[in-house]
Amino acid sequence: MNVLDIRGLTKKFGDFVAVDNMSLTVREGEIFGFLGANGAGKSTTINVVSSLLRPSSGEIRILDKDIMKQSRFAKMNLGIVPQDLAIYEDMTAYENVSFFAGLYGLRGIKLKERTIEALDFVGLGDKAKSFPKNFSGGMKRRLNIACAIAHKPKLIIMDEPTVGIDPQSRNYILTSVRKLNESGCTIIYTSHYMEEVEEICSRIAIVDHGKIIAEGTKEQLKSTITDVKDIRIELKSVQGGVVEKLRSIPGVRNVSQEDHVIRIHSDAAVDNLNRMLKQLIDAGMEIRSVEEQEPNLETVFLTLTGRNLRD
Amino acid sequence: MWREIWFLVTRTLLTTFRKRRTLMLYFGLPIAGILASVLLYSSQGPTELRVGVVNEDAGEQIAADTVSFVKGLDHVTIVNVTPDELKDQLAASKLDSGLIIDSGFSESVLSGSPDHIAIESVKGAQVTAYMKSMLYGYIDNVTSMGKIAGGDAAKFKALYDQYRSADFKLTSESVNDTATTKDMSYQSIGFLLMFMLSSAVGLSELILKNRENRTYFRVLSSPINARTYVLANIVMNLIVMIVQIIVALLFMQVVFHLDPGIPMGEMLGLLALFALVSVSLSLVIVAFSKSSAMAGALQNLIVPPTCMLSGCFFPISIMPAEVRKISDFLPQNWVLQSINKLQSGESFGSIWFNLVMLFAFAVVFFLIATYKFGRNNDTRNFV
Repeated sequence: MNVLDIRGLTKKFGDFVAVDNMSLTVREGEIFGFLGANGAGKSTTINVVSSLLRPSSGEIRILDKDIMKQSRFAKMNLGIVPQDLAIYEDMTAYENVSFFAGLYGLRGIKLKERTIEALDFVGLGDKAKSFPKNFSGGMKRRLNIACAIAHKPKLIIMDEPTVGIDPQSRNYILTSVRKLNESGCTIIYTSHYMEEVEEICSRIAIVDHGKIIAEGTKEQLKSTITDVKDIRIELKSVQGGVVEKLRSIPGVRNVSQEDHVIRIHSDAAVDNLNRMLKQLIDAGMEIRSVEEQEPNLETVFLTLTGRNLRD
Repeated sequence: MWREIWFLVTRTLLTTFRKRRTLMLYFGLPIAGILASVLLYSSQGPTELRVGVVNEDAGEQIAADTVSFVKGLDHVTIVNVTPDELKDQLAASKLDSGLIIDSGFSESVLSGSPDHIAIESVKGAQVTAYMKSMLYGYIDNVTSMGKIAGGDAAKFKALYDQYRSADFKLTSESVNDTATTKDMSYQSIGFLLMFMLSSAVGLSELILKNRENRTYFRVLSSPINARTYVLANIVMNLIVMIVQIIVALLFMQVVFHLDPGIPMGEMLGLLALFALVSVSLSLVIVAFSKSSAMAGALQNLIVPPTCMLSGCFFPISIMPAEVRKISDFLPQNWVLQSINKLQSGESFGSIWFNLVMLFAFAVVFFLIATYKFGRNNDTRNFV
């Protein structure tokens, strides 16, 4: 069964087309990765799915019900975890979750039970009476999630739920996402951290310029990249200007540097490794290791969009 | 829908008013306003007039009686002084005025041409007018007797003795002077109007604050729609306004013993209508503001000046006619005008035009806010 079905969705802001005739299907039980650089159209898509924006054209169905015609049903079955925290600082953790769950019609003992359940789920059961202003970034993120799940939605959209938090909270959230999925929730997950998406998503869609440009499992996506090689060179120290020099070598598509490691994204058909190494040696740099890597999601994304995910 | 509205109203009220600071802001300030007008008008009650008397016509019956007459006036205390002492004490404000009876005063009265008497003051007519009017009346009577006697001392004495021992039957009935308490309560309502407007903007501003902290969008992604959300804010705002009015009126009557001269039910009805205007105006401010800071600035730009022009802080009668014309376009003025009419004894029915005007203000403001809200479509901050 399809939990989310988007058909021919277009959203325009004046002359600007933010989402361009997009079609997408998310099946029940999936953790669906939704990837796109800033401005690609994923936030607009999420806003339309959550009924915050009206589509210019197209149809969106949640659990086979048109969200325009049966808006209440769609909203009752949808939980949103926004990228920016959407919690009340002057309410306790318990009051926050209870307030948002109450908006879905929960009252009395049921509301209390669901609130406690949601707080326990994100590991904030013992902080129920504390105010978010005293929370760490990770705790606030977990509260942000609790507010979206207390009404037990069938579909949860999580937009960058791990941005800017410590590794411990990040692991906790990723484990929670899996648990939610195991409990029967379908999840749409967006993140700038490719390793997270690779780790937890069963299917992924890449959106660029308002269109889905690739969709499938991570293996399927990686298999589409046959004409690109990904070379990792570790140096003792990196001198300025070397990245530009490497970029000028024929076949090289992209060069990025992180500390002493240079990653080169190049056409597989062009035999240019020796020229790269010569360039580095001539510049007086000491090479520690050279490695040709299997294409990962980042390579796929870069190849398909020509941009890094963080651009 | 009403179940959802009630849920939003109760939760927002509980969260907003559990802070002591907010309670003080919404209910303490109107009470402080009443206190301010009480203090402002308390100095307008009856005061004692200190009169220094220089009697240089000593030994004469008429001069002595004139001094006794002044001494017998209500709220007048006399002090016998020398001319030099009078000057010094008037200059030092130890005395409010001085009565100087020169030698020959009694004779001049007897001859029918009163002279040799003067009243001095550095404070002007406000302190001398009362004594002048009373004293001149007395001197005129005695002068008339002098004229009738035509210089015959025995005849004058007979007339004068008869005048002094006259047996009048005087029936007096005391009435309370309610003018000051009415002024106090009128001004207290003026302050209350300003606090109501400020409170309304503060509560409507919650919509903007919730947009800023993005909870507004989270609410809208739930089954609550924008119309329900704004309606809940209006209901919550009206509840606070009504409680604010009741608290202020109770304090006015029970604690400060200010009788506005209007039945409480009528006062409550009139102010409840103004509450509707306040909420609608606050929604206009919020609809035209992109942030809570901007709403705060607009509030400062709109509320205090319009309250001042409407006569909330001081009587509008002291303002120029042109300014008074402007106040016709301000809802606060229509409330204050209504209160003025009701205090003058007019019936609630007779102020129907004022009530219609207030209702019209509310409708127009609501329509403007609805139009503007309908054109706001900013979800960029949510996801």
